[in-house]
Amino acid sequence: MINFVKINKLNDETLEEIGFTWHTDTDGTKYVSDELVQITQKEAEAYYEAGNELYDMFVEAAQYVIDNDLFFEIGIPFNLVDMIKKSWENDVHWHIYGRFDLAGGIDNQDIKLIEFNADTPTSLFETALLQWALLKENNMDENKQFNNLYEAIKDNFKRLITLDEDVSSFEENYDGWKILFSSVEGDDEEEATTKLLQQIATDAGFNTSFEYLQDVKFDEDGIFDSQDNEYEYWFKLYPWEDIGTDEPELATTLNTIMQKQKAIILNPAYTLLFQSKGILKILWDLFPNHPLLLETSFEPLNSLHVEKCVFGREGANTKILEANGNILEKTDGEYDNYKKVYQKYVDFPKDNLGKKYQAGVFFAYESCALSFRKGDEIMDNMSKFVGHIIS
Amino acid sequence: MKHISSIASGVALGSAGIAMMSVLSGCEAPQEQQQNRFLVIEQQTNGKYIVVEEMPTEGPNRAIIREKDANGNVTERFMNESEMKALAEQEYQKVQNGTSETTQSGGGGMGLAGTILAVAAGSLMGNMIANSLMGNKNFSQRASSVNKSAYSRSAAGKASRARSTKKSFFGSNTRRSSYGSRGFGG
Repeated sequence: MINFVKINKLNDETLEEIGFTWHTDTDGTKYVSDELVQITQKEAEAYYEAGNELYDMFVEAAQYVIDNDLFFEIGIPFNLVDMIKKSWENDVHWHIYGRFDLAGGIDNQDIKLIEFNADTPTSLFETALLQWALLKENNMDENKQFNNLYEAIKDNFKRLITLDEDVSSFEENYDGWKILFSSVEGDDEEEATTKLLQQIATDAGFNTSFEYLQDVKFDEDGIFDSQDNEYEYWFKLYPWEDIGTDEPELATTLNTIMQKQKAIILNPAYTLLFQSKGILKILWDLFPNHPLLLETSFEPLNSLHVEKCVFGREGANTKILEANGNILEKTDGEYDNYKKVYQKYVDFPKDNLGKKYQAGVFFAYESCALSFRKGDEIMDNMSKFVGHIIS
Repeated sequence: MKHISSIASGVALGSAGIAMMSVLSGCEAPQEQQQNRFLVIEQQTNGKYIVVEEMPTEGPNRAIIREKDANGNVTERFMNESEMKALAEQEYQKVQNGTSETTQSGGGGMGLAGTILAVAAGSLMGNMIANSLMGNKNFSQRASSVNKSAYSRSAAGKASRARSTKKSFFGSNTRRSSYGSRGFGG
């Protein structure tokens, strides 16, 4: 069984005061659990090691996709391929952060990779700040949490300049370059996530600004805010594949901007290779039977398995299938046009009500934080956030 | 184990942590500090300096100094906050012993140290010093005369917009990212 610690919740008013307005889901239930998952130091270590090892494997798999021109196979829009290659070739396109979704790791279950949210991960605010605030509110030891997310991302922003593990030369080499942060207007969670990243970058020492996506201006010579100030970096909390398919003219312009080295776009275009669930099949080809991986194929499997879309998010358009193709569970959604991958089914650790727990391990240069989601058979947008404490 | 770092205290969470700690402990957020600036300071033909651009920044104070060398070529150099502060402090010493041009009457720009002190005393030296300087009539006049940023920004901005080929995307039919409330989380 999973061990839990019951805690006092933060009330909605306090949550709103700290900028966390999405505390209640559309069905009226609370998004944040009033329990913490209790893990051991050894389990924390294992999550840390798994994230680091998986990232190295993803880098190898991405190189393999590029070398063998497998972009189409893993569902990458053709008009992004050039940017993916360009960003891959030059370290200035530094990956700021991502989140591995993992099964297992607690309750004596092996850690297995479900997917890697490398392009536009959320849960950042909850993981970095909220689960820490829950310890603080309950007078618990703040050191007992695998949570170095804020510092790790701050250092990784500095690496945009130092391009090295060592960030001590940031001040010496930083020349006033500005980062513009953007998200969709009208979505509190995405805006708060983006503004938290902006705050972290500001703490790192960057000049920063925020502009909603529709107010950002582009031409072949750069990226500008609504006041025509030019920016050297643009962070967009907006999926690359949607830029490729829904905004093809912008994709062309961004390619030119990158070609002329006018601006650097974050997270870099190559993170779409990591984000595509098609790469899970490439990983299985390169590292067959690796203990952190689940068998994944472009064809249905001869055992209990899960059908997913290469770019589906939030558990949408997912099916759980028996070996004979019989559907046990399915969700609808808007991603059905994307190519499908088939991943071997794995059960998640469960509580005594049968709720399932998925671990999220954040990665910013190295594994740096852990949090959990609680949900049903398919983790969807009604899943709950659960913090943790190391016992 | 060292490589699994935890938050030793809210201070490790930077400004976000400090703001949250103040909410959790029921204290008010720290008082608003003087807004830091990003300045472009240009040397005039008479050798004096004026501020041609000024942008508020959430990072440290910074400046670009645009000067002409002996051959008339324009050079730009970057100045970080500690260099700006050193110059401002040096000029403030002169204010105190009565030799600073910032407190003399006159116009048409000042030396670099005087210009920096005049436009950014608050954020570099603190409110108390800035307020006492602004209490000096000559200082406040000189401070407003060396700062051309507001005018030059808006004029330049208009001109470039008229010729601009810049384009915005993500129009009203942009697919709302949120398939539900959890955004792109995956």
